[in-house]
Amino acid sequence: MNFLILLLSSAISIVCGQDRVITAKLNPGCAECTSANTLVYIKADSSKDSIHQLWDFTGGIPTVVFALTELNSTMQVKWDRQVPVKFLLSETPKYCFAIAIDKLYEYNDVEDKGHISPQCEQRPMSLKYMSWTLVDSVLSDKEVMVRVHGQYKHSWRAGVVDVKLDLIPFYDYAAELPRLIHTANSTLVDVGLVNITTSKDYNSSRFALHMLLVSTDGWGETMHYTMRKSLDDEHTPGVFEIIEIKTPESYVKDDGGYIQFRPVGYTEPKREVSSSTSVRVSPLKKSAVPERSTLERFFRDFETESLLVQDVFVSIGLTGDQFYRQHNFTSWSFTMGYGSPPLETFSLFVIMIISIGLGVPLLLALSGVVYVVISRIRQRNSNQPTRFTDEE
Amino acid sequence: MDNPEASGSSRTPQISPTSWRHPANRIHRFIALLLMCFLCFGSYFCYDTPGALVDNFKDDTHLTTSQFTLLYSIYSWPNVILCFIGGYLVDRYFGVRLGTVIYMTIVFIGAVIFASGVYINTYWLMILGRFVFGIGGESLQVVVNNYVVLWFKGKELNMVFGLQLSFSRFGSTVNFWIMEPIYRWIGNYYIGYERLGVTLFIASMTCFVSLLCGIILGWMDYRAEKILNRQEESMNEEPFHLKDIMHFRSEFWLISVIAVVYYLALFPFIALGKLFFERKFDFSPQDANTVNSMVYLLSAALSPFFGILIDKTGRNVTWVIISIVLTLCGHFLMAFTFFNPYIGVILLGISYSLLSSGLWPLVALIVPESQLGTAYGICQAVQNMGLAVVIIAAGVIVDKYGYLMLEMFFLGCLFISLIAAVFIYIIDSANNGILNMSPNMRESTKSQRRVDGVGETANLLENEDFTDQEETDSRVQEEKQPSVAPRDSALVQSDRIRSRYLAQILPNTNIPERQ
Repeated sequence: MNFLILLLSSAISIVCGQDRVITAKLNPGCAECTSANTLVYIKADSSKDSIHQLWDFTGGIPTVVFALTELNSTMQVKWDRQVPVKFLLSETPKYCFAIAIDKLYEYNDVEDKGHISPQCEQRPMSLKYMSWTLVDSVLSDKEVMVRVHGQYKHSWRAGVVDVKLDLIPFYDYAAELPRLIHTANSTLVDVGLVNITTSKDYNSSRFALHMLLVSTDGWGETMHYTMRKSLDDEHTPGVFEIIEIKTPESYVKDDGGYIQFRPVGYTEPKREVSSSTSVRVSPLKKSAVPERSTLERFFRDFETESLLVQDVFVSIGLTGDQFYRQHNFTSWSFTMGYGSPPLETFSLFVIMIISIGLGVPLLLALSGVVYVVISRIRQRNSNQPTRFTDEE
Repeated sequence: MDNPEASGSSRTPQISPTSWRHPANRIHRFIALLLMCFLCFGSYFCYDTPGALVDNFKDDTHLTTSQFTLLYSIYSWPNVILCFIGGYLVDRYFGVRLGTVIYMTIVFIGAVIFASGVYINTYWLMILGRFVFGIGGESLQVVVNNYVVLWFKGKELNMVFGLQLSFSRFGSTVNFWIMEPIYRWIGNYYIGYERLGVTLFIASMTCFVSLLCGIILGWMDYRAEKILNRQEESMNEEPFHLKDIMHFRSEFWLISVIAVVYYLALFPFIALGKLFFERKFDFSPQDANTVNSMVYLLSAALSPFFGILIDKTGRNVTWVIISIVLTLCGHFLMAFTFFNPYIGVILLGISYSLLSSGLWPLVALIVPESQLGTAYGICQAVQNMGLAVVIIAAGVIVDKYGYLMLEMFFLGCLFISLIAAVFIYIIDSANNGILNMSPNMRESTKSQRRVDGVGETANLLENEDFTDQEETDSRVQEEKQPSVAPRDSALVQSDRIRSRYLAQILPNTNIPERQ
């Protein structure tokens, strides 16, 4: 019973993601932009502060920037034709956190390990030269979502990198597997590699994402990789681990940037348990902001010592899965956000089943025992003398 | 009739009860026990041949996964009805001896058809083979249960049930050990599906051996019946009609409920367990298999001992409740903690064997002998139905809602069986409490009843009489002294039980009126 009380109280005590009022604009202030240019600016206001988000594909490298400021601050984007050159915040942000997927690595996994290692033959593909087309978008105060397809225009590599960014400003589980938790402070990112041509000289091709994580924590610090296990795989069947990469600020005080994901990827567009595969991240390493990138432009005014830039490889695949060519599809999801990463709780359904399942039999068993005891006592009382010869 | 020695020796003066050839003799009964164990060995061995050769099946016969799983489900589905019918046929028409031989023959034929199907690589023939094999297999289990009760009802019944269980587990285990080496050896002479077919022909020989055991056992039983004068007993009983099922006592139906829901929390768990251990506890596939097999391994090792334990202590219902609670703990640990799953699985293994040793003999205490086949048939049938449905459902639950939900489902099943067990306890103690008595109390109830010659309580226990005679028979020589003292005190006890029984439970007479 103690366990139950603990469960219920923990469920109640979990504070849901603080809701924010959101406003979103596509290519704000850009006169010459077309569907080939995608820069989304979102302002999410709470009662205390504002989070400015930039989702940028104009520079080739998919980039998401979070900037935390006081309430009522504004951001302006200065364009040079179709290229955003300046991001003018009305005040200095209190904290910034950014993520960019700057490269794809194709590697020849001869030993069939399922993840990239320095020993593998590998070929980086910079996403800088990729052209992104807006496929779908929702810009409302309930949800902000864009879906873009990236392709190399002049390359032997065909195929599409499918990226979806989604901001739903309240605490809930995403509809699609791996059903990560979204909050008003976080954005869901889905990345899919669809029908990408593999190198002819590699016969065990797999792909890994190369990600850059930037925060205003200071150059000397490091981000923290943590892996938690939850008892509950209700939302992501068969996956018990939750991985978080936290910035120092988030690690210590819970008010920095983080990314959160489950180590599961998918090998088919329809995400199911049967099409799931595993995801592995490499150790974090110090890195630098790529030149002439949106990241560089955004963080231009920050001093180098005040920026922590690290990179990480995310490999998707599993020993014995016949490599990328088996399905020609790989996808992975993560959330990036500000504050403390959301915790998963036992759903009401689970709690109800446990309490009914425990309560009813206990009640029955108790009443049974009471019944038996009472009937025994009655019996004894009615047949006093011979009753105590009971040998058994 | 109350003096088994007299009745036995008067009819067959040429065999002394001390001779090993006398059916009441321990050695004689031990031989029968061995034969009963081997009777099921063949069917359990052949049941799992596809499982043991799964890779080779896929390579040699190019079956898809769903075609392969159909080989198993075609065994289970028909038995949802068939083993009920099979049990009834034994009670009504065949009798135990003929029934055993018939079902064993069907099992053997099924195994041979299946092997032929593989040998010529014809899928429908394989399916037919498994179907025929299934018809025989489950009904066989029903008759063997009958045999066990017939020969061992009394003090050893629980132990023999336990031994039976461990032997059937042993059959599957041996199969997993030796099929691969046999397959490799056959590779010297045959290739492809012919190689697989020949391997299966060899496996089906175990069924032939079981059939021989069945025939020998039948002869022994025939002889025992004549020597022990069992014929008259069964002649006294009215033939059993199907509608008599309606008069089965509520305890029996509650036992059936446990037989279904308890095993639902076990077999599907083992079927899906491997991945669960890999995913949740980061076990390697090899280790996950080892943990998973612990349940069967433990039950094979422990069942006979638990049988002896229950034989000595009686109180089956209490043991059943204890084992359900233990199973609950095991599942609870695996669902809500990250403790080493060995703890949970060992709990499962222990409680599973304890439950099996305690539960199945209960049926024999409730249902008259002439209806035992049907009763065990019903249990087996509903169990099959439950498993067939739930194994599919469990897969869906895992895919849609995850392992935690699956564990919740198992816990739910266990709660239901716990409730059923508690109800049995309540109903039983409200009656005269025979199910949860210690052996001495049971015996004294019986002896008291013999003295009284009263009919109402007789319904419960009369069918134990002659096997119990065998029992006393065999023990008379060496155990006369110890049995005297408990009886005296127990006599007083039974007095009380009887009076309570009459006082409280007179209305409760929905038992077939057969005396």
